[in-house]
Amino acid sequence: MSAITLHNVVKKYGAVQVVHGVDLDIAEGEFVVLLGPSGCGKTTTLRMVAGLEDVSGGTLSIGGQVVNDVAPKDRGVAMVFQNYALYPHMSVRQNMEFALRPMKLGKAEMDRRIAQTAGILGLDALLERRPAQLSGGQRQRVAMGRAMVRTPKVFLFDEPLSNLDAKLRTQVRWEIGKLHQRLGTTVLYVTHDQVEAMTLADKIVIMRDGHVEQVGTPEEVYAAPKSTFVATFIGSPSMNMIETRATGGRLVADGLSIPVPTRFGDRVKDGQEVTLGIRPIEIQRVAENAPGAMAARVEVTEYLGNEALLDLRVGSHDLMAEVPADQRAAPGETVHVRLNETALHLFDTRSGRSLAQ
Amino acid sequence: MAYIRKRNRRIFLIFLLPAILVLFLTTIYPMIYAGYLSFRSYDLAKLFVPRVFVGWANYREILSSSEFLHSLVVTFKLMAMTLSVQLVLGVGIALLVVQKLPGMPLARTLLMIPMMISPVIVGLVWLFLYFPELGYLNYFLSLAGIDAIPWISSTNWALWAIAIADIWQWTPFVMMGTAAALQSLSPEPYEAAMIDGNSRWDVFTRVTLPQLKPVLVSLMFLRAIDAFKIYDIIFVLTKGGPGDSTEVLSMFIYRQSFTFWRMGVGAAASFVSLVIIVVLITLFFKSLNRDQTA
Amino acid sequence: MTFARTIALSGALAAGIAGAASAEKQFEGVELKMLAIGDTSVTRLAPIVGEFEEMTGAKVQIDMFPYPGLIDKIVIEASANNPSYQLMWVDSPWVGVLGESGALEDLTDWVKRDAEEIHLDDIIPIQLQENTWQGRLLAFPASGMIWHVNYRKDLFENPDEMAAFKEKYGYDLAPAQTWDQFIDIAEFFTRKAGDTLAGKTLEKDFYGNAQAYSRVAGAITHDFFPIMRSFGGQYWDDETGLCAIDREPGVKAAEVMKELVAYNPPDYLGLMWDIRTGYMERGEVAQSGYWSVRTVRLTNPEEAVLPTIGEAGYAASPTGDGNPADTMTGALSFGINSKASDREKEAAWAFIKWGTSRDMMRRFAEAGSGVSQFHKSILSDPDLQQKYPYYKVLLETQDRAQRRIFHPFYADVEEIFGVELNKYMAGETASAQEALTNGCTKINTRLKVFPLDMRQRWIADVPAAIFD
Repeated sequence: MSAITLHNVVKKYGAVQVVHGVDLDIAEGEFVVLLGPSGCGKTTTLRMVAGLEDVSGGTLSIGGQVVNDVAPKDRGVAMVFQNYALYPHMSVRQNMEFALRPMKLGKAEMDRRIAQTAGILGLDALLERRPAQLSGGQRQRVAMGRAMVRTPKVFLFDEPLSNLDAKLRTQVRWEIGKLHQRLGTTVLYVTHDQVEAMTLADKIVIMRDGHVEQVGTPEEVYAAPKSTFVATFIGSPSMNMIETRATGGRLVADGLSIPVPTRFGDRVKDGQEVTLGIRPIEIQRVAENAPGAMAARVEVTEYLGNEALLDLRVGSHDLMAEVPADQRAAPGETVHVRLNETALHLFDTRSGRSLAQ
Repeated sequence: MAYIRKRNRRIFLIFLLPAILVLFLTTIYPMIYAGYLSFRSYDLAKLFVPRVFVGWANYREILSSSEFLHSLVVTFKLMAMTLSVQLVLGVGIALLVVQKLPGMPLARTLLMIPMMISPVIVGLVWLFLYFPELGYLNYFLSLAGIDAIPWISSTNWALWAIAIADIWQWTPFVMMGTAAALQSLSPEPYEAAMIDGNSRWDVFTRVTLPQLKPVLVSLMFLRAIDAFKIYDIIFVLTKGGPGDSTEVLSMFIYRQSFTFWRMGVGAAASFVSLVIIVVLITLFFKSLNRDQTA
Repeated sequence: MTFARTIALSGALAAGIAGAASAEKQFEGVELKMLAIGDTSVTRLAPIVGEFEEMTGAKVQIDMFPYPGLIDKIVIEASANNPSYQLMWVDSPWVGVLGESGALEDLTDWVKRDAEEIHLDDIIPIQLQENTWQGRLLAFPASGMIWHVNYRKDLFENPDEMAAFKEKYGYDLAPAQTWDQFIDIAEFFTRKAGDTLAGKTLEKDFYGNAQAYSRVAGAITHDFFPIMRSFGGQYWDDETGLCAIDREPGVKAAEVMKELVAYNPPDYLGLMWDIRTGYMERGEVAQSGYWSVRTVRLTNPEEAVLPTIGEAGYAASPTGDGNPADTMTGALSFGINSKASDREKEAAWAFIKWGTSRDMMRRFAEAGSGVSQFHKSILSDPDLQQKYPYYKVLLETQDRAQRRIFHPFYADVEEIFGVELNKYMAGETASAQEALTNGCTKINTRLKVFPLDMRQRWIADVPAAIFD
């Protein structure tokens, strides 16, 4: 049975529709990340699941029960907010106690749960402190603790790491992942950071302009993006995109001509405008006379230690290549590169949809 | 550089001078003079009364006078009446006007009007409402079949009549301060409480009120100082009567100074009231500090 | 240009007509400012000061203020070195404090000099005596008052009411001679809405009496002291110069007022002079004792409802034992600031003579003005007595009259007894004796610091030197 099901869920504010018929199945224990740029409707979707926003259309079910009109407190969810949403005048312990208050547990049970949660999150020493006396990372752990003590069926996270600095973000991300492995509770997690999504998610839901673009495992969305949007949004540095025209079995653009890989079969029509996508790591330096070698001028070189990023100019196109550090070249140099034919992504330029099967 | 800085400081002082002068002439000098007067016998009207140094006699007279003590009691009684109602009403109305409902911004503006009216005018407005026999308030009560209430001519009602006028004028102040504080509260803890299922009452008493506390304490403190000095409304409505039921401290001082013309006694009473206010302020800041370190 | 010519022409005309008068414009360039009350003794005069200006060339500006607080302004004005007012409206009890402080110009010699012009012999002597301090005349009456009783003549003469009264009290219904009768009458006429009064069903409550019980500006004392006087009471002890208000007459007067509370409107504690007279003027009470400055309104349908629904009757104040006792007088007067320049003083005296002259007073009387008259010839004029029946009371009662309090500590007396009496009436003080003793103690504390001869001098009513 699915933990959460969204069927054609719609959100409107007056005449403005911000979420257009989202369909989503989240399995018990699954870690699902809603990913997309700001304004894509991911947070609104999460808030509808939480019950903080009304559902304007479609059905929303949690644990098999339609909850469109169920009060937030009766949905069995707990939420961790971007700004932690801690009660500033309460100690860490009081914050957790207040969350437990509606459950009317005995004092002993309450203490037991708080102790246990504090133990898991390493908050034991901080229980009597107020939020103002805690660091950002600690506050985020308290926010999680406050959600955890209630042992909800579903955890909802709303950009929980965006207020943390880069180093802390990595650490707390790792802790969230570990926590999920340990508790096995269903998680719906909103972020605009594809790294968080890739590292944490069992399943990523990529949203854009209120629509779901693609749902899949991190591997799927990385390896087989269904649209140019997903292709460029996932992966870092992002995928190179070159607009070409299919001409006699080749994809032709200024300074570039590549045969259409056979695996696309006859889906590429002659004269069709095709966007060719290639990740930087799939562009390799080759000898001038190697098959498929193209001449490229180095514009900028970024040295990253193990590898280097080369900003290349091929015809009128800019391409980013990621090469082993020892293969880097100086700006102004002309090098020869080849696109890894097996890693080519083709998209219909008009629709942006993938031409892969 | 040093030269410029020095010159700047001089310019700075020149700009400040008028303010210092005004402050000196309107506040500091009168205060020093009042201090001087408080140790003298000084009858403004009766030029034949000798104007001499009398030591602490004025202070002794005040502190042993039952009228002065009575006026202190009335002052604190009125303070308790107005502050408690203003607190409850002010917070209540603030909770209402911060709701995102149609008409609320307008309501907020309208509600602030009483605060902008001079207290003397407020007194006159309420005089028309309270006026014996001819007042609007009793007229409306009579429409509802309720007997006329001798608002400002009964020792049972007069202090309430004053309190009601003061509450009418100053509840908006508490409302405005509270509303501003409410709007500065982050909405997310409320959403968390909503999801966690905390009752509205729990959220109000355990989340909202504790966070409002510093603001409410400050508002009440400001109101307390004002209540301590309340004068205009009483002067217009009851002049301290009937009996001595609305004889607050400022009326006591007024009567000593401008009815009996005993400026020395009036000045001494003003200083005693100043001491009381200073003690109040000290206690307030102490309690505030204790709060923050706790 | 035409305008300027008109002005010039009319100026020449005026000069021509005035003839000798132009030579009399002796106060050209003098500016007089008067600190005054906004009541009938001034309001009738203010609109016609142009006549005085025309006559003398002086400019007159009258600033009017309500009675409460007016003495404060006058005191401040009197203590200023450079006065802005040359003329001051004076209530006769203030003459002590202003006189002892030297704030008012001595008018005695002027009055003697101009005795004929001002018809000194025609003025009721007590009204002049009212304005003296230590035998010197410091202000000149502009309105002379007594405290007397107004009643509903139409009700008192209603056969049904008369019969019912006689049956209940065993004597005839008539204006009260004693305070006990006054209380009986008050009780008798106190009716609830729905009851019958003179054969008609009452739409609202009707009260037997309205007196001033408010402490504001000592209003209650202005009714209390005349009642005390009617019991033979005095303010001061002749021997010590200290407070005598807490003696038997004072206690009796306070108890009379306390008994009357039951027959007064429910807002009695807030009854100021004008609110109290308002009840009488609207015909909502059976009787009310007050100062004669407002009595005239009861004869004028434009100023009072009563003449349209009934008729007012006028009587002297009741007394303790029913036998005649001295009544209490008061004067509303004009005085001159002693710090004004000599020329200003001359002009001010000319203004006072003009504004208080017998001709002016007769003019006011004929115009239906509320000035309380103080010339014998006017009060005894048969035509005017016909028009204003209370003139008779005003004239007759002053044969036996004593002046009001004139002590330099009058303001203290008024305020302290205002509060103490008001507290007693409100039930905050247990007995009249306690209330009055409290008041006397407070006054005496302030008086005892002064030597005995000074205190005795302050209470001595030295006959005015104008009668020599």
